[in-house]
Amino acid sequence: MSRAFYVYCIAESAAAAQLPAASLPAAIEDDAQLEWISVNTLAALVSQVPGETYSEESLADHLTDATWTAIRAMRHETVVEYVAKRTSVIPLRFGTIYLERSGIEQMLTEKSRELEEIIEHLRGREEWGVNVYSDRAVLMSSITSVSPVLRELVERAEQAPPGQSYLMQKKIDALRIDEVRAAVNRIVDQIEARLREQADDGRRLRILKVETTEHGELKAKFAFLVKRSSFEEFRDAAERLAQENQAAGVRLELTGPWPVYNFVNPV
Amino acid sequence: MSSSFDQILVGEEWEETDISLLETLDHVLNRGLVIAGEITIAVADIDLIFVGLNVLVSSVETAQEVLRNRQTDAD
Repeated sequence: MSRAFYVYCIAESAAAAQLPAASLPAAIEDDAQLEWISVNTLAALVSQVPGETYSEESLADHLTDATWTAIRAMRHETVVEYVAKRTSVIPLRFGTIYLERSGIEQMLTEKSRELEEIIEHLRGREEWGVNVYSDRAVLMSSITSVSPVLRELVERAEQAPPGQSYLMQKKIDALRIDEVRAAVNRIVDQIEARLREQADDGRRLRILKVETTEHGELKAKFAFLVKRSSFEEFRDAAERLAQENQAAGVRLELTGPWPVYNFVNPV
Repeated sequence: MSSSFDQILVGEEWEETDISLLETLDHVLNRGLVIAGEITIAVADIDLIFVGLNVLVSSVETAQEVLRNRQTDAD
């Protein structure tokens, strides 16, 4: 049976030596163990996989099976998490496969400088995710107190004769929707700006699907690169933002620490 | 689960819960360094996979199996 090599992450050889394969979590497939392939200062964490299953055609089929994909993606994550907790590591995207061991050695050799730079850049840093949710109903009801323009209109409508009041109410309803949208954007921008001040880097991420949870609708997703030593400040800033915006129906969710999936683009 | 990869909800107080399966899969399937392997799984139609994953998560039994998998691996 042909074998291929699945690559999880890249670390420094010296760190890899402290993490013997036998101490690591389960590999992506049951019948193989993790192993480090080292070239000079760098080491790739890999495991063998059946070449038939991981051929391009076969994979396309397997990937449509959510259970198959989810189990393997979770194993990938568990392995990378384990290493990321212990050393500076470059997480690879799910599904990097080499047919020969020599291909990995060649990659480590050819890209050594770039990989070393990334590892250095990430040292002592973690990725934290921030999700921003907005509860529209809460914001709709509190928007009058947030927006002076609306407050004035509401007061005038209350004083106006019925016919005029009705028309003004229509205007207020339309304006309320615009003001809610503007308020959410303003709050999201403010959250990004203030958390960036506490982080080394930040990215706004794509929202894959519109998620509505008990906290409202997901409005923005961010990833921040944060020094371990600055995490308390980062967390305090997030907490202040959460408190300031609670009345507006905005909720923050902090997730992590993650392996630095969003900050491994070549520097 | 006692993974340190917990989700912290910020509100009146911080509370810790587990990161959702979808959140985790979103990270693993979409991101990370792309190095040209001899085969690089192009999870091209990621949205389609997420539709499948949503079905998976709503199918509690299967989702639990996947989560158990995660937990055992982490121990």
